[in-house]
Amino acid sequence: MRITLLLFTLFAFSLPAHAGMFSTIDDRANQISAQLQGNHTYHAELARQLANVALEEKSQHDTPAAMEFIRMAEDHAAQAGGAH
Amino acid sequence: MKRLMILAASLSLVACSTHSNIDIDELAEARAAIAASKAAGAERCAPKLQAQAVASLYWAAHEIQEGGHPEEEAELTARAISKANAARTQAKKNCSPAPKKVVEIIKLSGVNFANNSAELTPASIAILDGAVATLKRRSEIQVEVAAHTSSRGAAAYNLALSKSRAAAVKDYLVSHGIDANRLTSKGYGETQLIADESTRAGEAKNRRVELRVMN
Repeated sequence: MRITLLLFTLFAFSLPAHAGMFSTIDDRANQISAQLQGNHTYHAELARQLANVALEEKSQHDTPAAMEFIRMAEDHAAQAGGAH
Repeated sequence: MKRLMILAASLSLVACSTHSNIDIDELAEARAAIAASKAAGAERCAPKLQAQAVASLYWAAHEIQEGGHPEEEAELTARAISKANAARTQAKKNCSPAPKKVVEIIKLSGVNFANNSAELTPASIAILDGAVATLKRRSEIQVEVAAHTSSRGAAAYNLALSKSRAAAVKDYLVSHGIDANRLTSKGYGETQLIADESTRAGEAKNRRVELRVMN
């Protein structure tokens, strides 16, 4: 029973960790900014814009919206292919 | 225990929730403006403005779905539209095609004109018929008919004469079945001399017509 509980706990915490819930929005926005330095393609610009929206939502204490926008920003940063 | 596991799994999946739904009536105009700017090439030629438009659209969608902030919703929607319109304008300006490059020169040696005119000599016809055959065989190529003069006479006169001569050759090619859309003509006057003009042979060499294959 204890082992089951331990495994369950690990599983339950691994999912949000994988989704980046334990990194701050600011950290993730900074990472996007660093990753896209010098890259001015459409996806890079969109990633920056969405990261800014995420920071704005966070400042208004809307954490779920901030999480959603930072995830979108990361998707577009990945499509932008990093720094140019 | 089972219920607890289902609850924990559901909470974990909150991290994977879907993006804001932009397919709502209030955003129809903004969506149309963004589609138009995208069609104009804004993602490539006005990426920052297009990104601002799209980010504003998603943000507006979020605010509308959340409700309770009508001013913010209207402001973000208007911003999406104005950025998209600006992106479309900039894209139209920036996306103009790059100038074509010359990839090959087909010399039309022996194509000559009557003195100080754009009238083709009879001997030139056979050479131009050969050019017609080449252009028909290579139907994929786009060509600039380029005419040059020697430096004898005034530069402005020579430029005008070379333009008339290039046009005369183009007209001949078109009248013999070459699609006019594949051809342009340009006179270079005495700007591109290729031979020393201290002799008559040198002058004659500079007076020439070429087909410049463009890419």
